[in-house]
Amino acid sequence: MTEMATRGTIAEQHTHRDDRPFIRRYIFSTDHKIIGIQFLLMSLLFLLLGGMLAMLMRWQLGFPGRPLPIIGSLFPEAMVQNGIVLPEFYDSLVTMHGTFMVFFAIMPLLVGVFGNYLIPLKIGAPDMAFPRINMASFWLAVPAGVLMLAGFFVEGGHAAAGWTSYAPLSANSEYSGVSTGQIIWCISLIVLGLSSILGSFNYITTIINMRAPGMIWFRMPLSIWSLFITAILVLLAMPVLSGAIIMLLFDQTIGTHFFLPPKGGQPLLWQHLFWFFGHPEVYILILPAMGMASDIIANGSRKPIFGYVSMVLALLGIGVLGWGVWGHHMFMSGMNPTLGTGFMISTLLISVPSAIKVFNWMGTMWRGNIQFHVPMLHAVSFVAMFVIGGLSGVFMAASPVDIYIHDTYFIVAHLHYVLFGGSLFAIFASITYWYPKMFGRLMSPRWGKVHFWLTFVFYNLVFFPMHQLGLHGHMRRLYDPTQYEFLKPLQPLNTFISISAFLLFASQLIFAVNFIASWFTGAKAGPNPWHDNGLEWTLPSPPPHGNFAVTPTVYRGPYEYSSPLVEEDWLPQDRRLDRSPAPAPGGHR
Amino acid sequence: MTHGAIAASAGVMRPPVDREAGAGVYNEKLGMWVFLGSEVMFFTALIGSYIILRVAHPEMWAPPGKVLNVPITAVNTFLLICSSVTMVKAFASAQDGLQRPLCLWLLATCIIGATFVGVQAFEYHHLIEKGFVPSEGLYGSTFYTMTGFHGFHVSVGVICLSFVTWKAFRGKYTSTDHRGVEVVGLYWHFVDLVWIILFTIVYLI
Amino acid sequence: MEPLTDTPLAKPRAHHPPYIAIFAGLAVLTMTELIVAFLPWHKRTIVILLIAMAIWKALLVALYYMHLRFEPNRLRILAVAPLPLAVILVTAVITEFRW
Repeated sequence: MTEMATRGTIAEQHTHRDDRPFIRRYIFSTDHKIIGIQFLLMSLLFLLLGGMLAMLMRWQLGFPGRPLPIIGSLFPEAMVQNGIVLPEFYDSLVTMHGTFMVFFAIMPLLVGVFGNYLIPLKIGAPDMAFPRINMASFWLAVPAGVLMLAGFFVEGGHAAAGWTSYAPLSANSEYSGVSTGQIIWCISLIVLGLSSILGSFNYITTIINMRAPGMIWFRMPLSIWSLFITAILVLLAMPVLSGAIIMLLFDQTIGTHFFLPPKGGQPLLWQHLFWFFGHPEVYILILPAMGMASDIIANGSRKPIFGYVSMVLALLGIGVLGWGVWGHHMFMSGMNPTLGTGFMISTLLISVPSAIKVFNWMGTMWRGNIQFHVPMLHAVSFVAMFVIGGLSGVFMAASPVDIYIHDTYFIVAHLHYVLFGGSLFAIFASITYWYPKMFGRLMSPRWGKVHFWLTFVFYNLVFFPMHQLGLHGHMRRLYDPTQYEFLKPLQPLNTFISISAFLLFASQLIFAVNFIASWFTGAKAGPNPWHDNGLEWTLPSPPPHGNFAVTPTVYRGPYEYSSPLVEEDWLPQDRRLDRSPAPAPGGHR
Repeated sequence: MTHGAIAASAGVMRPPVDREAGAGVYNEKLGMWVFLGSEVMFFTALIGSYIILRVAHPEMWAPPGKVLNVPITAVNTFLLICSSVTMVKAFASAQDGLQRPLCLWLLATCIIGATFVGVQAFEYHHLIEKGFVPSEGLYGSTFYTMTGFHGFHVSVGVICLSFVTWKAFRGKYTSTDHRGVEVVGLYWHFVDLVWIILFTIVYLI
Repeated sequence: MEPLTDTPLAKPRAHHPPYIAIFAGLAVLTMTELIVAFLPWHKRTIVILLIAMAIWKALLVALYYMHLRFEPNRLRILAVAPLPLAVILVTAVITEFRW
């Protein structure tokens, strides 16, 4: 009964059948929707791989010295001897788990997938500003990923200096025992950095210049706001990492001395450069999750987002303040203590905008007509898990406390609460939510709920106890905890965590099967299965090439749920209400 | 108010018509400025590291002119600035619809740009023969990395310029659509700007 | 579609910024830098003067050759946005070595 978008301002056909051959349509596609799906398939593979590496680590930690069952013999002698993971290989596992998860799973899942898929659709544009550069962005990420995989098969093994690759360990192969692997790590990330930068300037240009008429800044969905700010962070932070990695690569290969002490190099310089990138990077990993969670929570609560303007300001605040806190990763590095105090203050400050967002999510749900569909389950748990992760972050922000907990499992717990409990739950929510739009079918709700509950329970069983481990002094990147007397009493906890981790990993099989099978046998989805107000839900599922047949006109914000103006509990952004003029931006009557 | 008429008269070098007000410029120009933002941060990492390392160990640097050839590089700097002039003259010709001058100014920019790279390469060869190599210490490490990546950016610029020059000779640019000329011009001036900074702080300080 | 060869008579000549004058300014500044760099003055004075001149030259290129002087304000803000970050990074890390 809803009217479709009224006649747009230009009565041209923007959509057309894509008559090009298969390779141009689906492999070397310039259509943002296809590119988004390509990133989705690639990233999910790396997510699986990163998880598998973690399972190998958890076996060693839970059952140190016990041979790997069944698969132990599959690994070469350099990695696994008599079924037991070697310490050198363990260091590579730690490094590559982090590297794959951060750069090849979470970042492309949030920015590459949803940035690409949602931005043009949600702002009413036919595609990105530069479709061919968009294609180049994906096809640069692929060789970067292949190269990173290749590192496992070179002599000396893969990079083993941690995902943070501190110099001089990473710069001098005499210290780490790894030469080619570290070089591959560097080159792969330089290529990936270029891919990300190309993507980011595309997103920024598109959002600034291609919003449909009526889509003023304060009528944009929070998912797009968050992707916009994230793209700015990517644009400005990734090049610094690229520069730093180039200097590291030169130290490794042509004998320069940026970070090597013998001729004046400064290891601290690497840390500063890396974390100047690294802190905005973690906001890159959470901001889109926050934005999409906002969209989903408003939808699931059938209520407007509470405090839309303050949500935008909080995103901006995090984006700006995030540049001034990087030193909190370096409290124990020996850096200038006064500088450290400055970073402590800025870090404590940055918890404020995040807290505002948490209260606003709660305010959105308060007295809402809550629909606990699968995306909503994931989105709500995102908020709760993010709170836990954020709270542990406040402990670390205080440098006197960090002296004790730095480089322990307390940090590991924190980072997994924000990256898994935060980002990954939001990713599960978003994949489930936008799957019908992408593929024209719904994922199974029943198996979605089973997957959610199993994941939620096992995830907390794995990571919450890590807070205890850390407070007891259990160090990070530790191969064999039982070599320390003071850690031996904690070993049962390590074993418990490992078993929970195996069950957690196994539970993801349900998601994988649901994802794949629903493509074939899922219930067919109409244009708007969630009764959402966004512009993408006015289009068929999946949308045609070129998106909108007629440029939409936007009359209101995206969160007009349960509006008194209409009978339904949702009111699309582009629906014109004849009896009243366009309402004020972002507000209700 | 017929948007059709407005669309026809606005032209491609204005902001998109049937869209909300954005940056006030057309997409390609906005895109290039945004991309240049990332380039600023890239050179910040390299040049910033140089500044930091030099403040940490000033004794590891030679006085200006001792190791590096200031006269030749000064001429090279002048050449690069000239190429910025030829570039902007090319852009002005495109704006005025003057095809022949556009092609010639673009060609001049390409040639001068390639010459700059050539002189730099010649200088590198000379310095390496003298024994000033990247591995000699902080001075060598920072010098070669900064100027090397600048040279790389100039080379990419020359390649893009060649492409634009070729298109100009084929008559693809008009007074109402010369986006490629403006956008490559912005990149080229940026590369010149970086060199202005580099020449001063690497060769003269 | 415009014809491939436009005649200058078809439209009035656009008013261009004084490109050659700017070029002269850049040339003069470069010469001055070369002279100042080798004067027997206190090193700190030389450094400040040289950096000031370099910034001046950079501004001339950015404002006139890159046309920032004539672009909408939004674009100008966008263009300068990365600079504070560069300053933050360098000044913060310098305090590690010079307090």
